[in-house]
Amino acid sequence: MAGPLEQFEIKPLADLSVGGFDVSFTNSALWMVIAAVLVTGFMTMSMRRGALVPGRWQGAAEVMYEFVANMLKDNVGTAGRKYFPFVFTLFMFVLFGNLLGMIPHGFAFTSHIIVTFAMALVIFVGVTIIGFARHGTHYLRMFFPEGAPIATAIILIPIEIISYFSRPFSLAIRLFANMTVGHIMLKVIGGFVGLIGIFGVLPFAMLTGITVLEFGIAALQAYVYTILTCIYLHDAIHMH
Amino acid sequence: MPQFDITSFPSQIFWLVVVFAILYILMSKIALPKVGDVLERRHKTIEDNLGKARALKDETDAAIARYEAALAEARDAAHADIREASEKATAQQAAETEAMARKLSEKTSAAEKRIAQAKTTALSGVSEAAADIAREATAKLIGVKVQTKTAENAVAAVIGE
Repeated sequence: MAGPLEQFEIKPLADLSVGGFDVSFTNSALWMVIAAVLVTGFMTMSMRRGALVPGRWQGAAEVMYEFVANMLKDNVGTAGRKYFPFVFTLFMFVLFGNLLGMIPHGFAFTSHIIVTFAMALVIFVGVTIIGFARHGTHYLRMFFPEGAPIATAIILIPIEIISYFSRPFSLAIRLFANMTVGHIMLKVIGGFVGLIGIFGVLPFAMLTGITVLEFGIAALQAYVYTILTCIYLHDAIHMH
Repeated sequence: MPQFDITSFPSQIFWLVVVFAILYILMSKIALPKVGDVLERRHKTIEDNLGKARALKDETDAAIARYEAALAEARDAAHADIREASEKATAQQAAETEAMARKLSEKTSAAEKRIAQAKTTALSGVSEAAADIAREATAKLIGVKVQTKTAENAVAAVIGE
């Protein structure tokens, strides 16, 4: 019987080394490629005809496009237009990563903190660069909002700095923890089904419910990850 | 926990960067412009059709207004014609009635005159005949030849009573 953590193991499929680092093509990388291929296939094949009246697949692709476009427009405004391809790629990559993890023997690369943290770090650094590029040193006002009494600076500035720098961590840990815990739970409860004979129907029923829940979480966490990116982008472009 | 195995980090970061970058390029250069184009085209087509529908509706409204105006004009003209014709007919009828009445009264008075004349002629004929009869009767009965004048006077005296 495999332990509940075995599903997260990174297994090299093809050895590769660049500059002394081991960058072997692993199961994680394979599922990233699968996700990218599926996203690209979905977004291009369904739009191949570009019909005026969309069919089912084209309708689905358009819904994804408009969903992310509206999310960006509602949170950032028109100034966020040029970041749309990045936000869309991010949402689809995370969404497909989460959902592919729900396939038996699949692998959720979003359940690895280094992946979620690397993306969060890119977002954090990118947003900070955009903030300074747009507002110059005035962007430091982020840490001390206009109109606040000067005496509160001693408390407010450290709080704002901590909250600003905790952004990539909260972003990374939220997604990683949700995916990891969900998969552990499925594995543990799934283990009970076979162990307790006829009474296995109880954990099986529970497992069915949790599976549905996990699909919801897979979509929801992709949404949360993306909308927080939009909110950080809003702060960088419009300040508070 | 495999998540905290640092030796797998370089590989994961490397492939994340590679795959994400490729996906980003595919999305931004190929997939998303296409979707944007299709949505834009649909939006434009709908706008165009709405505009066309609005123009056609305006045209229809104008045509209806023109039709209504023509109809009202025709109705007014028809009313005027009817009124004129009916007035003319009434006037003509009155004139004809009057002419007919005059002609009738003329004929009546002429006939009355003729009747009166005939009556006088007849009456005078009667007294003459009566005088003659009276003279003849007198001659036959008593053999006296009475003067015409006398007989006439006698008859006149009897009739006059």
